[in-house]
This record gives sequence, structure tokens and C-alpha cells, in this order.
Amino acid sequence: MSFMEFVIAAIGIASAIGVVGFRNPLSSAFSLIVHLLSIAGLYALLGAHFLAVSQVVVYAGAIMVLVLFVLMLLNLKSESGRRIGIIRSAVTVGIGLVIFLAVSGPMLAQFTNIPQATLEQNMKASEGGVKAIGQLLYSQYMVQFELSSLVLLVGVVGAVMLAKRKNVQLTPREGGMGGAK
Amino acid sequence: MDPITSYLGIACLLFTIGGIGLCLRRNAIVLFMCVEMMLNAVNLAFVAFSKIHGNLDGQVAVFFVMVIAAAESAIGLAIILSVFRSVASIETTDAAELKW
Repeated sequence: MSFMEFVIAAIGIASAIGVVGFRNPLSSAFSLIVHLLSIAGLYALLGAHFLAVSQVVVYAGAIMVLVLFVLMLLNLKSESGRRIGIIRSAVTVGIGLVIFLAVSGPMLAQFTNIPQATLEQNMKASEGGVKAIGQLLYSQYMVQFELSSLVLLVGVVGAVMLAKRKNVQLTPREGGMGGAK
Repeated sequence: MDPITSYLGIACLLFTIGGIGLCLRRNAIVLFMCVEMMLNAVNLAFVAFSKIHGNLDGQVAVFFVMVIAAAESAIGLAIILSVFRSVASIETTDAAELKW
């Protein structure tokens, strides 16, 4: 593992812990932005250049702007009164670590013994530039690609329907501009 | 350990951190952010598998996960907004009733 990979992975893990640990949701959101950017860096190091760019644009750009907008709109105070109990968090972290070991152990054991030659060949074969991904998207995954546009359309319409206030009255406000009586 | 295998380990660790956050926190927006983090961990594993097997199908799957995540975030945040209008809070413990 190269030095660059190590640094970016450490930043990603630290900011992930920050998302969970910060008490102010706004701090969590900024920590999540750092996390998403570090994941984009890992994609770039893996050679998935198209995904690295779209990770920055879609996740760190669009989705996080939406989250920050909602946070500003709700005008929340940070969780003050209720602290999460130390026993509760210790038990949760313990269960999480058990699950982590149960999942990662077999997975890592299975994928450690790949011959170095085939791995290097495969790394070269799966260089994810825009051209390669685009050709795959518009040939083999054509139907799914078109369906995903439908999903996005339904998502946008559904979001508008859900966020719309019921019984909006569009009457002009009384005493608006010059109404200082 | 191979570099590619360590990517799988990182993905597992990030998924676990997201899951722990999902269990510990009560703020609906932070829960949403933890779900995004878990999705990202799975995406990282997808890219690593795509590298191991030497074809691009894994990266196309990541692309579709991103599309779904974008739609999900729009709808999820709209739901959080409308819950906030009803109970004036986004703590999950405050919105425990099914109907009111």
C-alpha cells in the first residue's frame, strides 16, 4: 500500500468517525464532505477516473448541497440535553466490531491469494475512463441506463409532492412594503 | 497484504462505522448521512472487485448506485422536511407515533 493510499484512507476513516462523533449536525455534514472527497481520491488511485469525477460532482456537490440546505432550513440547535450513554455506545461499537470481523475476515482471506501477474493484467484491463464506461453504458446497460432516468424523474416529482405544503394560500401579505401604520 | 485487499478492508471498516452511527445517533439527517456513508463503502468495494476481476461491470454498478442515491437523497430529505413540519423536530425519538 503506497504512502498516498495510506494517507487518503486515514483521512477517509477519520472523517467517517467524525460524521458519527460530532454532536452538531453541521459539523457532521462538513466531515461527510471530506469523507466523500477522500473516497473520490481512492477511486482515482484505483484508476476509476470517471467515478472519481462523478463522485465529486454528484456526492460532494449535489447531494451535500441538498443536505446543507435542509440543515440551514431547519435551523437546528446541536443535540444538547440527551447524551448517548457510555454503556449503550460501547455495546454498539462492540457489536459493530464483531460484525466487521465476521464480514471482513472471510472476504480478505478469499482475496489475498490472487497471483500478482493476473492482478496486474486485470488492473490494466479495468481502467475506468469516460470512454470505456460510456461504451458499456450505452451498449450492454442501455435499458438500465434509460430506466435510471425514469427513477430520477420519479424521485424529483416525489420530492416536490412530499415537500409541498398542504393548503398554501397565495394571498398577498397585508401591510407588506409601505404598510407602516 | 495486497493493496487491492486493503481496499476491501477499508470498505468493510467504513461500512461498520456507518452502521454504528446508524445505531447510535438519533438525528434524522445524521442517520441519512450515515446511510450515504454505507453506500459509499459498498461502492468502494465494488470498484475494488472490478479491479480484481478485470472488467468494468463493477464500476457501472457504482454508477447506478450513485443515480439511486441521488433520487433517494431528494426523497429522504423531503420526508425529513415534512416530518419536521408535523412534529417540529427531527429527532427520531420525537417522531415515534405512527399517526396523530
